Amino acid sequence: MSFRNFLLGIFASFSLAWGLVVVYPFFKMRAIKPIVLTEATDGKDGLYFPKRAGRVANGATVYASNGCYLCHTQLVRPTYAGNDLYREDWGGLKDNGDGVDTRRETNAYDFQGEKFAQIGVSRLGPDLSNIGRRVESVYAKGKSPEAWLYNHLYNPRGPVERRNSDCPAFRFLFEEREVKGNRSADALPFSTDEDKEIVPNSDAKALVSYLLSLKKDDAVPAVLNFAPPKK
Amino acid sequence: MSQDTSNSPEKDAIVRASIDRSLRHPVMFFFTSGAAWLAVSIVLGIISSAKNHSPDFFGNCAWLTYGRVFPAHINALIYGWGAQAAFGAMIWLMARLSRQECRAAGTILTAGHIWNLGVALGLIGILSGHGTGMSWMEFPFFAWPVLLLSYTMIMIWSLVQFRVRPTGHTYISQWFLVGSIIWFPWVYLTANVLLHCMTGHPVMAAGINAWFKSAMLLLFFLPVGIGTAFYLVPKVTGKPIYSYTLAQIGFWSLAIIAPWAGMQKLAGAPIPYFLPYLGAAATVLIAIPAFTVAANLIATAMSSGDTVAHSPTLRFTLAGLVGLALFGGAAVILNLPDSTLPLTQFSLSGYGFDILGLYGFFSLVMFGAIYFIVPRITRREWLSRRLIKMHFFLSVYGVVTVALVALFGGLQQGIGQEQFDMGWDNASARATPYAIAITIAWCFILFSNIFFFMHLTLMWLRLGRRSSHPTLLVDPHHGSPHGPEGDIDNAGPGTPSAAAAAGAH
Repeated sequence: MSFRNFLLGIFASFSLAWGLVVVYPFFKMRAIKPIVLTEATDGKDGLYFPKRAGRVANGATVYASNGCYLCHTQLVRPTYAGNDLYREDWGGLKDNGDGVDTRRETNAYDFQGEKFAQIGVSRLGPDLSNIGRRVESVYAKGKSPEAWLYNHLYNPRGPVERRNSDCPAFRFLFEEREVKGNRSADALPFSTDEDKEIVPNSDAKALVSYLLSLKKDDAVPAVLNFAPPKK
Repeated sequence: MSQDTSNSPEKDAIVRASIDRSLRHPVMFFFTSGAAWLAVSIVLGIISSAKNHSPDFFGNCAWLTYGRVFPAHINALIYGWGAQAAFGAMIWLMARLSRQECRAAGTILTAGHIWNLGVALGLIGILSGHGTGMSWMEFPFFAWPVLLLSYTMIMIWSLVQFRVRPTGHTYISQWFLVGSIIWFPWVYLTANVLLHCMTGHPVMAAGINAWFKSAMLLLFFLPVGIGTAFYLVPKVTGKPIYSYTLAQIGFWSLAIIAPWAGMQKLAGAPIPYFLPYLGAAATVLIAIPAFTVAANLIATAMSSGDTVAHSPTLRFTLAGLVGLALFGGAAVILNLPDSTLPLTQFSLSGYGFDILGLYGFFSLVMFGAIYFIVPRITRREWLSRRLIKMHFFLSVYGVVTVALVALFGGLQQGIGQEQFDMGWDNASARATPYAIAITIAWCFILFSNIFFFMHLTLMWLRLGRRSSHPTLLVDPHHGSPHGPEGDIDNAGPGTPSAAAAAGAH
């Protein structure tokens, strides 16, 4: 085989796959169209535009640079690819308080405001697609969800039911400082010194804001709704 | 091999000697600094693995939090050790097979320093909290152009040598090596430009990252390791390849299948359905090149049992080829869409698969190559048979433990993850015992590689044995302590001195 044919073979075999699984899908998905809602199926007209509040971009950077994606995923797989949807509080809530099951699979509009979807590498910890919802409705139980997350990041093995957690403590996202005037509203109850308080730094605030923005359980347009029909 | 047969054996030996001399410093630089990075990477690997079961180990140190140490470990392994071992082996093999002296040793050496600087700064970036959060691409943004530029400065000369080589047969090793020389920059440039310089859909970005990881493993580390093994096994045993047709099938099946693999990590994610399942299918089919290459080369070495036992090169290479066969088997077992893919998608298995490819195959073949190449370019023999043996046994048992425990533990963990009616504690507790086993196994690998690094450094300082007896792994109670008599350097097939050394190295 001549070198020319060899090169042709390499270029042909590689560029076919390169074009079809990398470049073409990249440009197609880049230009993804918003979904048009219709009165008949969705109850309203307009465009599907899920809202997301919080310091998403900043928090995503902290999430990425501290490697949260190594143990936590952000993907609720459809039932053909795994059992994630059957867990009571992963894809939403089995009962959101009004008797409605809000669980749904992750869709392409769920990562708004992020450059890179942290699908994740491994699940040593639970999926975080709906951690914001879960903290507000399940873990914090009416108390401040921010405070719950600060405590969790500072001391993940604090609560007795979490004593076996393998989550690292992120104490470097907090600082201990002298109390000047009133205590900070975000101060954690771990300081041993009366004159000092432990408060989250700006990275911790961004991260918690980002985590609380993870509520991927909003009602989706009919074309994206794969839930079995309600009886 | 593209050898000019009109050369006399003496002329031949002179050509080889001058090639070896021209490459002494670049090759030794890559091997030695690679071995140093390997030790660094393993230390980081031990710390990160320990954190999997004892999360408060170094718990208050920001630089050593799990989410930074683990990427630092894997990036040091890939770019610090893997790539540099590959560069050393590639430039030497390409020069020898093209029968061209290296005329750019200074440039290569400079580029090698730049590469090391890029890796060091990248790792500091990760550990100080500036990682990008994309697997295998965690180095901060500045690193990739630096690495790509120094790669070009290192590898371009091998392509030049290949172009001006004496005409004749192109040996299969050259196919694999030229392939990987072309694939690496293509893959690396594509992923970095699309992820760093362009705005795309976030989920597709994650897909491209998964493809990049797979392509680095299957289109760079695999072909470099295979190309090297195709050189070493026939060379050391003195036997032709068992089936040259099978070798060609191995090459083209890899070239055709591997670029499609990788996106199975995104099964169930909101990207077009065909991408993850095509990726799973391609990864399963990687078994074809893996099995054909492993079987072909093992069959080649089969009739030379004594040589395999005595030659450090051949021992490491064959262990690596067994690793390649296991890798092919694992590719099938872990990626079956309706049974195992949901279990392994987010479990330890992915790590086990990567380590099996990177260490269980690639690194073992590279060790084999280093034990072969270094005495030739330093004109000194390895100092200690015992160190080589220890390196071999601790490495092989260590990596088998890491990889198999991670593969099997990952399946167990996946079963726990899929049991949606049990609490999450059930799934996370299943991973713990396997994590402990992995930590212990990495400690053994570290032990072996620290001594390997020191051994290699002494060789570069030319403190190796001045002897014409290669260091063979023979039992000292039988015959001479250093194996049969023989000429050490540059005695290829055909020289009278080589006849006596048949079976050496």
